[in-house]
Amino acid sequence: MRRSIRMAAAAALLLLSGFPSAAFPVLYIDINSPGGKRMPIAVANFVVSGDSALSRGIPKIIENDLLLTDLFEIIPQSAHLEAVTAAHFSGTPLSFPAWKVIGAEAVVIGKVETKGDRLSIEMRLYDATQGTLMVGKRYEGTARQVRSIAHRFANEIVYAFTGVRGVFGTEIAFTARPGKGRGKEIYVVGMDGQEMRKVTDNRSYNLFPRWSPDGQWLAYTSYRTGVPAIYLRNVASGAEKVLVRFGGAKSPGGFSPDGEWLYVSVSVDGNSDIYRVRVVGGTVEKVVTGWGLDVSPSPSPDGRRIAFVSDRGGSPQIYVKTVGGADETRISQGSGYATSPSWAPAGDRIAYTARSGGHFAIYTVAPDGSGRQMVASAPDGDCEDPSFSPDGRYLVYSFRKRGYSDLQIISLDGRRERTLISGHNDEGSPAWSPGR
Amino acid sequence: MNRAFPWKRAALALFLAAVVSVGCAKKQTVRSENAGAASRESQQAGAPGAIGEAPVRETPVTEALKAAEPTQTARAAEAAGVAVTEEKPSVFEDVHFDFDKAALRDDGRKICQTVADYMKTHPRAKILIEGHCDERGTAEYNLALGERRATVVMNYLVSLGVPRAALSTVSFGKERPLDPGHNEEAWAKNRRAHFVVK
Repeated sequence: MRRSIRMAAAAALLLLSGFPSAAFPVLYIDINSPGGKRMPIAVANFVVSGDSALSRGIPKIIENDLLLTDLFEIIPQSAHLEAVTAAHFSGTPLSFPAWKVIGAEAVVIGKVETKGDRLSIEMRLYDATQGTLMVGKRYEGTARQVRSIAHRFANEIVYAFTGVRGVFGTEIAFTARPGKGRGKEIYVVGMDGQEMRKVTDNRSYNLFPRWSPDGQWLAYTSYRTGVPAIYLRNVASGAEKVLVRFGGAKSPGGFSPDGEWLYVSVSVDGNSDIYRVRVVGGTVEKVVTGWGLDVSPSPSPDGRRIAFVSDRGGSPQIYVKTVGGADETRISQGSGYATSPSWAPAGDRIAYTARSGGHFAIYTVAPDGSGRQMVASAPDGDCEDPSFSPDGRYLVYSFRKRGYSDLQIISLDGRRERTLISGHNDEGSPAWSPGR
Repeated sequence: MNRAFPWKRAALALFLAAVVSVGCAKKQTVRSENAGAASRESQQAGAPGAIGEAPVRETPVTEALKAAEPTQTARAAEAAGVAVTEEKPSVFEDVHFDFDKAALRDDGRKICQTVADYMKTHPRAKILIEGHCDERGTAEYNLALGERRATVVMNYLVSLGVPRAALSTVSFGKERPLDPGHNEEAWAKNRRAHFVVK
């Protein structure tokens, strides 16, 4: 963010001083101009001592990440003319004309050194038109960390070109029926669709996974004891504690940005209200109450407001309320059925699900209810449960069609979409992890 | 969905540990002359980041794996989980509801009367009322709606003279449909309160 402002200021200065903007010396991608030219980039084979599979393996991970953004065009390895060697990391410059001639405006090179169990990976991004280094990083870790290291450098590349952090290496939690089993379990999968794994395994219903702001914990509802309760689970260690026992039906909505509170909905005597519960200590405060069913609280990024669902008007609709205030404004339109609000990380939009023409579609709207836009819909199926990526550029949502289900990732303008997970296991309730 | 994953979990543990360790990473310049020069050049051009080091350290995997092994409590929980996910047959018919509604219809009231009569002759019986919804709409909202349906039935039974203490409710929302179909016929069957005599 800060960088893009600085860039804009620099650009304005150049324009004022009579510089033609074409002479602006830094490659830059405007992520807000849809259909803009994609940046042609080449990721050379890595120079490797040890496991030779990494020579192409790491570039593949980076290339796949860059393709996911739809901001880059990959110049295939078969077209590369210059063989990168260890000397290019110790003083010998790349032959940039050899990269420019194949159309590459940027080049990524890398070198892997193996010392026993440990790897040292150095990666550099060059502006091929100027012959300058844009980013250089060296990472150290084990062979198992190669994928996350590659994701991190891919994030550096996206940041260098756009001023916005990439989301590679982030994860999506979701629920699905286990292969042949009963109930529902919680799973986590990388945003690139790789490295899926089970988080819960108790053959009960485990629902509504929600990430803590530090990405370490998942809050979720489980029926494992026969009675529903909201649990907090440390994703890495599996350590767990019960956070909410009172009442009947209950679901976590989202954490406050400081991670101190979990907003939840709990049914007491058949009436669902919204509460917040202190993560440490368990103090409970009522936030939204009334005779209607109030569910799905989603805190704003500044923590001052929540979006939630209430059927007080006769059908479920989206409302926004200041925490501790008396105002409650309805922001969804029409008499239909609107649920699952998710507040954008920048605070400027709220995504939600609404019924339209017999099917559910995904919309975004400003927090004051203005400027509604449809993001995803299908004539023969339902698009539901949107959750924002940490950079606010994408939504992950669930799609269902007569027993088939999948999770889709779509850009906010609705132009780019891909399938994250597909199957017939009732995949749903996706939640995107915070940035890392 | 049912892939083997222990090593992936280990990888995750390492990854998370790596992310944590980055927080305390020290920037360190690569000693290569050329890299230093290039880095200065790029900073003049407004690009961020000199060559730096972001150490990704190894942490013990064994602890994370130990925590993942099932404990006694986990096994008990698994047994309870299976009990929850299996539909128990009922001597009573289900009470059905209209879409997005929790109001009792006349047919539902008749079924409740049958239950109330049974309770008069079986004063020691206890009944669990399960609330269920059809597959349309959000899982969270349906969970609350199912609870409301179960509670409406419970309150009606109390009004018919059944002691409150003999009754309890639980909602499964749309998680456990009776009919797996995707049409109005299936949906109508699935919007229900189901009685389990304990």
